[in-house]
Formats: sequence, C-alpha cells, structure tokens
Amino acid sequence: MAVAVRLDTVTKRFGDLTVVDRITLTIEPGELFFLLGPSGCGKTTLLRSIAGFYIPEHGAIRIGDRDVTRLAPDERDTGMVFQSYALWPHMTVAQNVAFGLELRKISKAEIDQRVAEALAMVKMSDRAQYKPNQLSGGQQQRVALARALVIRPQCLLLDEPLSNLDAKLRLDMRTEIRRICKQAGLTAIYVTHDQKEALSIADRMAILDKGIIQQCGSPEEVYRRPVNRFVANFIGETNFIEGRVLSVDDGQATLDTPIGRVVSTALPREPLRPNQAITLSLRPEVIHAGTEPKDPTNVFRGAAHDTVYLGEMAQHLINVPVPGAQDVVLKVFELNPKMVTHDDEVKDVQFWFRPGNAVVLTG
Amino acid sequence: MNRIISRVIFAVTSVIFALLFLAPLGTVIQGGFWVNGTFTLRYLGGVFQNPIYSEGLFNSLLLAIGTTTLVTLIAVPLAWLTNKYEFPGKKWVSGLILVPMILPPFVGAIGFQQILGPYGGLNALLGLGPVDWLGHAQYWGVISLQALSLYPIMYLNANAALANIDPAMEEAAANLGCKGFTKFRRITLPLMMPGLFAGGTIVFIWSFTELGTPLILNYTKCASVQVFDALKEIGSNPFPYALVFVMLACSVTLYAIGKFAFGGHAYAMQSKAATVSNTVTVRGVRGLLVLLPFALVILVALTPHLGVIATSLAKPGSWYQSIAPLQLTVENYAEALGHEMTVSSIRNSLLYSSLAVAFNAVLGIAIAFVVVRSDIRGRGILDALAMLPLAVPGLVMAFGYLAISANLSNTDWVKDSVFWQNLLDVRTNPTLFLVVAYSIRRLPYMVRSAVAGLQQTSVTLEEAAANLGAGFLTTLRRITVPLITANLIAGALLAFAFSMLEVSDSLMLAQRSDYYPITKTIYELFHLIGTGQYIASALGVWAMAFLAVTIVGASLILGKKLGAIFRA
Repeated sequence: MAVAVRLDTVTKRFGDLTVVDRITLTIEPGELFFLLGPSGCGKTTLLRSIAGFYIPEHGAIRIGDRDVTRLAPDERDTGMVFQSYALWPHMTVAQNVAFGLELRKISKAEIDQRVAEALAMVKMSDRAQYKPNQLSGGQQQRVALARALVIRPQCLLLDEPLSNLDAKLRLDMRTEIRRICKQAGLTAIYVTHDQKEALSIADRMAILDKGIIQQCGSPEEVYRRPVNRFVANFIGETNFIEGRVLSVDDGQATLDTPIGRVVSTALPREPLRPNQAITLSLRPEVIHAGTEPKDPTNVFRGAAHDTVYLGEMAQHLINVPVPGAQDVVLKVFELNPKMVTHDDEVKDVQFWFRPGNAVVLTG
Repeated sequence: MNRIISRVIFAVTSVIFALLFLAPLGTVIQGGFWVNGTFTLRYLGGVFQNPIYSEGLFNSLLLAIGTTTLVTLIAVPLAWLTNKYEFPGKKWVSGLILVPMILPPFVGAIGFQQILGPYGGLNALLGLGPVDWLGHAQYWGVISLQALSLYPIMYLNANAALANIDPAMEEAAANLGCKGFTKFRRITLPLMMPGLFAGGTIVFIWSFTELGTPLILNYTKCASVQVFDALKEIGSNPFPYALVFVMLACSVTLYAIGKFAFGGHAYAMQSKAATVSNTVTVRGVRGLLVLLPFALVILVALTPHLGVIATSLAKPGSWYQSIAPLQLTVENYAEALGHEMTVSSIRNSLLYSSLAVAFNAVLGIAIAFVVVRSDIRGRGILDALAMLPLAVPGLVMAFGYLAISANLSNTDWVKDSVFWQNLLDVRTNPTLFLVVAYSIRRLPYMVRSAVAGLQQTSVTLEEAAANLGAGFLTTLRRITVPLITANLIAGALLAFAFSMLEVSDSLMLAQRSDYYPITKTIYELFHLIGTGQYIASALGVWAMAFLAVTIVGASLILGKKLGAIFRA
C-alpha cells in the first residue's frame, strides 16, 4: 500500500556547511519522484536523511502517518538501492534477497516464495545461487532492486542506481525500473544527476542546487517553463538574452533586447513591472532558421556559421549584430537540416520563434 | 553506526587501554622520578653519571644502530631485486626469505654458539684451533644474530614501499634521461623512505631493548640485561626505573620522529599504478646471479636454525670439536616432552596466548570499529594510541607490569586474600599479567588487521543491512564480521604466534616454574648443566615448527598484504 512522504523544512548541516536547506516537499502515494541536481547540490544527503543515515538538524520527515525524523535506519521500513549496489559478497543472490525477510521473522516457506517472486520480477530467477561477483553490473543492479523490493517497503529509495552501467543498459534499465515501480504500486524517490533519466521516467521532479529546491514539477513543466536561470541552464540547452520590460498587457509582454523587440507570452508567476530587468531563455530547438515565419511576431536576421551537421539535425551559430555592442550569438537546432554551411562560409538568414516559447526569467 | 553505541565503545576501549597500557608506563615514570613522595631528577641524572649504566645505555644504542644498519643493508637490495626482476625460483626464495622470523633470536643463539663457538662446527670445518668467532667481539655476535632474525620485517616494509611506487614515476625520470643508480638515489629511494623508516623504527626499538639474545650470548654490558638483573630490587631501587624510562623516551622519540617526518603516508601516490609494474625477466646465468644474494642470505640466516636443529638431534656431548654431531638421537625430543617443566610450559603458553588473542580480538575489533566507522572526535587519537605498543619496548612494558604487581602485592587487601594474590601477585600466579602483557603488545597487529578489513569493506554494505531492518548487533554478526574474517584470522594468527614466542614479558613476569611459558622454559633449560642446551634446542625446534605453520597460514590468508602488519 503506497504512502506519501512528507518533508517539512528539513535542514542538514555538516559543520558550517548547510547541505540541505529548509526543504519542504510532499511526494504523493505511488509517485515516481526524482531529485535532480549537479554534484554537491544536496540530493544524496536528502535521500540519506530519508533513509535514516543522517539525522537532520531541523525539520521533520514523515513516511505515511509515521514521523521517522529521528528513527534509526533499521526502523524506517524503506527499501534502498545503493549506487554501488552494496550486495554482500559472502552471500548468494538468493541469500541477499532473503536477508530483509529473515529479519522480519517470516516463515521459511514464505521467504522462499517471495524471493522467487522478486527474482522473477527483475528477471534474475536463473541466477539465484550465484555470488554477486559472478554477475555483470546490470545483473547486480537487478538483484539490488529485488533485495529492496522484496520487503515490500513503504517507500523505495534509489541513489543513482544506473550511474555504474553502460549507456545501452542504462536505457533498458530505466524503463524497467519504472515498470517495476508502477507494477508494485510503490512510492519511489530517485536521485540522479542525469536529466535524461529524470525527463524520461519521472512523474514529478525537484531540481536542487545549493541545498534548495529550485523548481518542482512534471518533466514537461520543468523543461518548458523553467523558473530561473539555473534550472533553464541545468535542464537541456538554452540561449540567454538580457533585456528589459517595455510593456505588459494581458499575459503578454513586450521586451527590449539587444536583438530587438521580443514579444513573450511565457511569463513568470509574479507580475512584471515596466522597465524591469529580465533574462530571456530561448531553447535552440524553438528558434526556426531559414524557413518562412509561420508567426510574424518575433522575426529577426543574423549570420549563420559554424554548422555542426549531426544527420537528423544540424546545430548552427547565428550572430545577430547589435549596434554599438558585441554581437549576440544564438545556438539553433535545425531538424531535418537543409541549411548547411561549410568551413568559413557565412550565410545571411532570417529566423523566428513563437511568443509562447520565449521564456521570461527574473531570477 | 549508532552514535550512542559508538560512544560507549569508544569510552570503554579508551578506559581499558589507558588502564592496561598507560598505567604501567606511568608506574615506570613515577618510580624513577617520585621517591618518597617528592619529585627528583637525581636518579635520571644518576643513570648518566653512573659509568656502568651509561656504558650499558651506550652499548644498547650501538646494538640498535648496528642491527638496524645491518638489516637495511641486507633487506633493501633484496627488496629492490624482488621488485625489479622476475627470476627462476623467485616464488621459493621470496617465501624462504621470511623463514628466519619463526625463531626468537635468543633460541638461535644456542645453535649459533654450537657452530661458531671455539669448539664448534666452523672451526672443525676449517681445521682451526679454538678460535672464538664470537669471543670478545660479542657485540658482533648479538647484532648479527638480531639482524639475521629481524631483516624480514624490513624486507616486507621495503617491498611494500617499492610495490606502491607508481612505475610511471621511474618512467618519467628515465624519460628525462635519469637512469641506473642515480634514478634509484634521486627517485626510488626518497619515495620508499617512509616505508624504510617505518620498518627501521621497529627494528631499532626491538634491538635496542632485546633481552634474550644478549643474555644467552652473555653480553651483560647492555641496558636490557642490567634492567633484568636489577629486577630483584624493584621495590627499593629507583635506578632501574630511571634506566627503563630512558629506554622508553628514546623509543618513543624515534617513533614520533618517524610519524611526524613522514606522516604515515607522506608520498601518497596520486594515481594507482596505471601500467603494469615494469619487472624484467632474467633467465640463465643472469637469473642465477640475481638468485645468488637471496640464497646467500637465506643460508646465513638459517645457520642458527640449522644449529638448533642439529643440536636438538645431537646426543648430549657428541658435538664437540666436530663439524656436526657425531651421534644422532631423538632422545632429546622425548626428554623435552617428558620433562615436567616442558609439558606445563606448553600448556601454559597455549593458555596465555589463547586468552590474550581472545581479549585482543574483542578489543581490536572494537577499536577498529570506532576508528573506521564512527565520527567521534578523538578516534584518531585512539587509533594512534593503539599503535603505540609498537613504539614501547616489551622490556619497558614488562618492567611496568612487574612494578605494578610489586606495588599491589604490598597492600594489605592483597596480602590477606588468596584470591587477590593469585590474580595480582606475579610471584604467586602471573597468568593475568602475562595475558594482559601479551595481548597489549600484540594489539597493533589486531587493530591494523581489523582496520584494513573494515576499510576494504564498503560501509554501504552495512547501510544496506540497516536499511532492511538489521540492528547494530545483527549487522555486526551477519555482515561485518563475516566480511572481515580473513583479516581477523590473519591478525589473530600473528598475535598468537608472537605471543607463543614472547621473550621479555615471559622472562620477567613468570617467576614460578609451574607457570613458565615456553620461552622462559627454554631459557631455564639452557642453563641446566650437561644436557640443558640439547633439550632446550629440542623445545626450540618444536616452537619453530609451530610458528612456521601459523605464519605460513597467515601469509596464505593475507597474501601480499603481510607486510602491512609490520608497519608502525
């Protein structure tokens, strides 16, 4: 039975360093929730606090209706998958998986049955009598998952579970993890620094930096409507253009930027004031170059150069001249590319983007 | 790891350690400086003014310097050859080279005398008259015997230090045009210096205070023998205390210099060796040339052992002015095992050593746990303290324990109670003190083994158990201890082996023949008129065989890491 995990102003310090700073968050029952951020952002510390390996200096952690803030790790009933898998080398696969059940004083017959089920779930039934060092990385990962799942924990904690696998296996395993979580109906918290992992399988995600949640939302929300420069820059690629607000009218703002007047409908939650300094975030794939504008609002000209041809798409740099200042350089992705320049060739092009894709940031 | 549990373990181990290790040292210092309740430097000064004591100290210093130099000259070239060349028979000699460790040098002294004495095998072989090769140059006898049994410690350290050097370091030097001896002197030697100093410190302290060898070779003008002779006055004469204090101060200073100068791992390699070490394979004549020094060292180092074995097989009186015994017999073995003192001494040694190792294992695991797995402030100090018994000579510790026992047995509550007399008065029953002494002196081996095991074992393995609901003790029993079993067994084996052949504590603390351990019995048998040395040798052979089995066992379990155990 899936339960919610609630964090209330959780704060963890190491000496003078505040690693997790007043984090408040609710993870819904049955949700696959991601903690995403660069190394040192506090995501692993937060996860280990939920598991009980760290006791926060301040705040409360609730799993279901239990306050677990000060409980020892062994009293919390979480199932954790460690980055290094932490399979006990002196036990077989089956013994590893059975360990948690033995501690729960479950009958031998039921242990055997549940171990078999768990191994079947991760497709490792034929390796039950192997020792961990006889398994490949991907297989060890599956066993670690089975060991955490078999105790039917109230919540599953995953600490960068795929970071030691090769790229191909990572792709397979991430959909596999989502399938297993949803099949078991588990609340799961997943820590990673890999945005592709998060974007592809998360229900919701929190972006952390310097111990603070910068943004929390669905993958699409976070990608399409980042709330500040850090998030826009950390998830995907983007172009930043500094500018000022000229006027705001009914969910639409006109902005003065070095490349000219830009109209945006992707505005921050807090109202904008005229003359306020803002940053415009333009993803490379929302800028269309060399095609007829389908929307006449934001159309500009520039010099395309340094094309990198990648087959399904091409990456261009477009220099937009600014009178009396340095050129603005924009990165642009062109799908199914036709406009390819070679070597030092420079091509004068027209480019455009929709007002809904020009995200205005104030932070 | 649970905070409260780790605090409790920290507190308990610290108290036990202070009681058993620091108290005897405190007693030594007190005995030398507080006389009749007042502080005085008279006796410390007296040690240096008294010509006999100062000569003894000076001679001990010479013994230590000579032994350490000799050991370095033997061990470093061998270690270098081991790391540089792949040669025929390497596997065999790198094992055999450690064999001399299996015999306390003082037992070897018996065999040594049989071969090098005026009426011994060498003179008979060379057809010379009664030349005493040890003669008045007993100094050379003592240092060569000590060097021949202590060089393996240095060899293991030097070997480990060399193996730890990233081959890229030497390759970089070669790339810049540096080669041969210059490369060794400028690059290799400085990089292996911490290892050499660590091994050198142990050898120095060991030989500075070695008691058995000078005693058997009758080299009485050194501090350790003077202390031994003064034991009868332990209750009344402050001079031996002051003398022991000077030895303690020298040893600890040297140890501290090593720690501060090299900080344990001064030249941490930035990268694990990326390339396979660049050993050169040599065959044929060149291979034999590399093999030769090993064979020579092994041959010479095993001479005392061969002497002991030959003596043990000689019919009493049949090895006199001849190359080898003229008549062989196994009667010595039968007599050695039949002798009342021998049987009880084997039983005693087994009892003392087993108790010591059991106590050691518990204390060692507890200390290692706090050091590696807790974040308590002061755990570094506990770690350093637990290694200190390596820096404190066995003689000093034994003297301290003896002094404590003497003090306690003068109190009324001990005098009036048989129970307390049995426990605390070594003249009645030395079991408690011997077990404590054996165990504290071998604690570093146990702690190092357990620490190494815990460090190699990822803490996430324990966290995973806690996450699944295992409490502290369950995790310890089901996960931690099984994972470090190999290290624990190796540490325990070494501690056991060295306890069985411990010399200083045994000679000084065991004062009643029914409580003698093996080493003291060998020493006493040696002094029996007539058949003594033959029976003593037979018992020595038994001890050698025993130690060989345990050390081979330990090295099989630990593999190449054996050297780490002898590093301070």
